[in-house]
Amino acid sequence: MTSTLWQLRRGESCVIDRFDARLHDTYRTRMVELGFHPGAAVTCVVAPRLGAPKLFRVGNAVYSLEKQVAELVITGGEAA
Amino acid sequence: MTRVLVVGSPNSGKSLLFNRLTGLRQKVANFPGITVDTHSGHSRQHPDMELVDFPGVYSLHAVSGEETIAVETFSRALGEGDVSAVLCVVDATRLEKGLVFALQVTEAARRAGKRVVIAANMMDTLARHGLTLDDAGLAGALGLPVIPISARTGSGLAALEQALLEGPDPAAPRDSLLARDETAYRNEADLLSRTYGPRGDLLINSTSRADRFFLHSLTGGISFLLIMYLLFQSIFTWAAPLMDGVEGVLGWFASLLLPWIGNDIARDFLRDAIFGGVGAFLVFVPQIFVLTLMVGLLEDSGYLARAAVICHRPLRIFGLTGKSFVPMLSGVACAIPGIYAARTVESPRRRWLTYLAIPLMPCSARLPVYALLITAFIPAYTVLGGWVGLQGLAMFGIYLFGICSGLLVTALVSRTLGDGGEDAPFVLEMPPYRMPSWEPLLRGAWDRSRHFVYKAGPVIFWVSVGVWFLGYFPNLGADLGHSWLGSLGRLIEPLFAPLGLDWKYGVAILASFIAREVFVGTLGTLFGIEGAEDDVISLAERVQASGLPLGSGFALLVFFAIAAQCVSTLAVLRRESGSWRLPVQMFFGYGLLAYSAAFVTYRLVEWLVA
Repeated sequence: MTSTLWQLRRGESCVIDRFDARLHDTYRTRMVELGFHPGAAVTCVVAPRLGAPKLFRVGNAVYSLEKQVAELVITGGEAA
Repeated sequence: MTRVLVVGSPNSGKSLLFNRLTGLRQKVANFPGITVDTHSGHSRQHPDMELVDFPGVYSLHAVSGEETIAVETFSRALGEGDVSAVLCVVDATRLEKGLVFALQVTEAARRAGKRVVIAANMMDTLARHGLTLDDAGLAGALGLPVIPISARTGSGLAALEQALLEGPDPAAPRDSLLARDETAYRNEADLLSRTYGPRGDLLINSTSRADRFFLHSLTGGISFLLIMYLLFQSIFTWAAPLMDGVEGVLGWFASLLLPWIGNDIARDFLRDAIFGGVGAFLVFVPQIFVLTLMVGLLEDSGYLARAAVICHRPLRIFGLTGKSFVPMLSGVACAIPGIYAARTVESPRRRWLTYLAIPLMPCSARLPVYALLITAFIPAYTVLGGWVGLQGLAMFGIYLFGICSGLLVTALVSRTLGDGGEDAPFVLEMPPYRMPSWEPLLRGAWDRSRHFVYKAGPVIFWVSVGVWFLGYFPNLGADLGHSWLGSLGRLIEPLFAPLGLDWKYGVAILASFIAREVFVGTLGTLFGIEGAEDDVISLAERVQASGLPLGSGFALLVFFAIAAQCVSTLAVLRRESGSWRLPVQMFFGYGLLAYSAAFVTYRLVEWLVA
């Protein structure tokens, strides 16, 4: 079973493995430009309840991602 | 004369740098996508150098409407002969992100034969964390000048301008732009950032702690409501002394000037049309100042991006997105910047729905009307040392009514349209929290208020003059009911009679279709003529004394909350949506809805009172 960025809980880190094919090319490109590229280490900074967007840190920047897009980012193992 | 194109990622400090270099007052805010059009200005140090500021974009691969406009305009500008250089601003604290865009820009500029200078901004933040940047190494690797600067403190700006004027000739492009994809740019940016960028953790723990509080399911929601409540409460409590001051100055000036006017008609004109009509409008300008200041404060502190995250889930219920929040909040100050800001909403469907909601946001032009009616009908009762006032609560209520109306309309339209299919995902950068800079905030609020007076003032002046002329003649102000205006008013009276309004309010509503705030000036002139023999008393007191029923007061509030009267807003909507269809539908649709809702309100309140 594959795990996704959305499954990360607050304080947890992971490495991005690939993108789900359902993510449109335009937005995949944007995600890579923002730093969410395969091999990048990502940490979940804030994970509010009730399905609100979560905050993910990549490099020195923090982005808010909603469930619909974070579910399409397939993650590998835990970041070092 | 030489031109320099200024580009950079959102939140790179580009607008602040542009303002520093040109001395202009471009709006600076801590929220992605605050520049929504190009602006140009001449360098203060080198007046023959013109700088053109472009909207912040993450990439030359556009995603949103705003980015498409920015990228297309930038590409066209690169081909112009008088453009000598491109200034690319990157945030040195988040170098890897800025360098992806900088590499794209460098390739595009080199292909067009233009020089590129990179400004590594926010060096003061790096220094505070004891970190640094190998700018010489990065410049060597890129083959172009990299100048460390701080737009906030002004350091490095002289060297930057020197590099823009006297930099080396542009190098040839390294390879085809089309041959490089986003992964190649990303890999190169990563490598450069790791080699020459600051090595250290720049995200301070307090930012994460603040985010955990402001975005928590419970504390985030409560703090959001509290902040919004304080925003609207401040419009009354903080603006009150300033309003009293303006009223006092106008009264003092009138008492000084009027006794010197010998001619009766000229004296009546000055007292009723100028001090009564235009003066009644000027009294409300401090509220616009306070409102703009408070919205700017939220933007500058970094809270607005968090508010967009909090609002995302609730707004999705109404067919909108968290990114609709900032255009809607901008619409609270004025619908026009709100409509421009809606370009940041990537999804065309949600952008269109945001357009529908913005004209229902309680804009500052509605503020004088609300303030007048609330002052006339709601007692000035306060508790908790003046922090909670009944009038402030009423203002909060009518603002909430406008916002809820907007959401209700978008929900209904969204459901009627059905599923929009594939949609742009919600991805929003969180700017760091920072202490707001008071000087640009105060300057921005002052500029906004001044612009409001300059824009609305002439209209209000001429409407006041016209209304006074029609109301004063032919019987020289002896009987308003039998004046030309009185005759005209009685013609339209049947239209407003179902709302319990007499012809004077009908005339003021008709005049407000030029601009909403004209309503106040028109009433000021009308009551000024009618009560010319009385002592100078405020317009709200005159409205009270006119015997306007409570139900009609509430009906007027509801009517003004919904009706889309602003011609400028409709014209901007036409430009942004590409046709007259949406603005025309909005004008008639919201007009009909406003009248119906006002009628129901009048009947309901009068039934409750009875």
